[in-house]
Amino acid sequence: MLSSKEEAKILAGGQSLLSLMKLRLAAPKTLIDINGIAELSHIAEKDGSIVIGSMTRHDQLAESVIIRTKVPLLADAASLIADQQVRNRGTIGGSLVHADSGADLPTACKALGANLTAVGPGGPRSIAVEDFFRDYFTTSLEAGEIVTEIRIPIPPPRSGGSHLKLTKGHNDFAIVAVAAQLSFNDEFVCRKAEVVLGGVASTPVHARETERSLTNRELDHNLIGDAARKAAEGLNPGTDVRASAEYRIKMTRTLTSRAIQLAVQRIHGSH
Amino acid sequence: MRQEVAVKVTVNGEARERRVESRMLLVDFLRDELGLTGTHIGCDTGHCGACTVMLNGVPVKSCLLLAAQANNSNVETIEGVARNGKLHPVQEAFLEENALQCGFCTPGMILSTLFLLRRNPNPSDLEIRNGIEGNLCRCTGYLNILKAVKTAAAKMSQKGR
Repeated sequence: MLSSKEEAKILAGGQSLLSLMKLRLAAPKTLIDINGIAELSHIAEKDGSIVIGSMTRHDQLAESVIIRTKVPLLADAASLIADQQVRNRGTIGGSLVHADSGADLPTACKALGANLTAVGPGGPRSIAVEDFFRDYFTTSLEAGEIVTEIRIPIPPPRSGGSHLKLTKGHNDFAIVAVAAQLSFNDEFVCRKAEVVLGGVASTPVHARETERSLTNRELDHNLIGDAARKAAEGLNPGTDVRASAEYRIKMTRTLTSRAIQLAVQRIHGSH
Repeated sequence: MRQEVAVKVTVNGEARERRVESRMLLVDFLRDELGLTGTHIGCDTGHCGACTVMLNGVPVKSCLLLAAQANNSNVETIEGVARNGKLHPVQEAFLEENALQCGFCTPGMILSTLFLLRRNPNPSDLEIRNGIEGNLCRCTGYLNILKAVKTAAAKMSQKGR
């Protein structure tokens, strides 16, 4: 249907698409409402992953016991989106496909190493989240494809994550958002660090220097502070109605430090 | 291109059916087709929450939903909150605490409060603020609204409603 209709678009939660249509920034000739497809709305554990249907609402993510216990970063991110009414409608698939760089779920899913299943006329294919976001509001999804499922590998023991954002007004799109997901070994040495920034580039981006500074180290307050100061290296964020570029850079460092500290606290808290 | 769709909705317990333009928003359907003007249009951009209604038991912004999407659903509007001429405890609480000035945001506030208290019968101040953050009051009467939500919670726990 999507490929046969001219200028057709999928209508998921509609919380971004209908707003864009009102502003005449989008004018699809046909809308295909997929809200009636119950099979696209689910959260389950399967083969070491959490499998989330693309039509799962933000509120379901925020309230899910599986998400809250296994990947609290994602529950944090979902609960920070807009407000209750929007969380009741907005969907994870819709948010990822819309690909607003200041949105929470793209940043969170990138830090969690998610895999997306896209289905099109040629059948299903898997897309790593690293290959999904291409540019402002642009993904590697092809015409005629829809996202059906998001798979998140369940982090190993002694892992912890957090998602924080700075906004103008409560729960707006991010001036900057930071998702940090860490895994420690038995000796509490950091073996894996994913630190992803939202709102400061055309897509969510890894703070690679920060990740390198954390990896294979025992994290203490000073080391985290030093690592977080490198978070804005190589960034060239924009100035817009929400914030200036300089402010974004400063706040990127501050928020990165807080997000890492919260992730570490959660690792210790789970033991 | 004008295209019509049939929309069948149960609104406040009553089955309603209309043929409307496919692009019609749910809020316009409720107000213009069904005459339920208690659901307000404040911003029409999904920010203010004045158009909040319950869709299958959860609050949504009816300006960010097409009428066609509500087909075969249950919708509850402010007109369905009072029963048999008697105000709901949330409505009583808003009245008693003077939680409205112009009243424009009130229908949405009350529907958000109903959902909040159903999920969390005894919310803290912060939980109330988070629960009604999708509803803006341009008279800035938030303090009395917070009081009203607390009073409503107390009334409802007494009555076991």
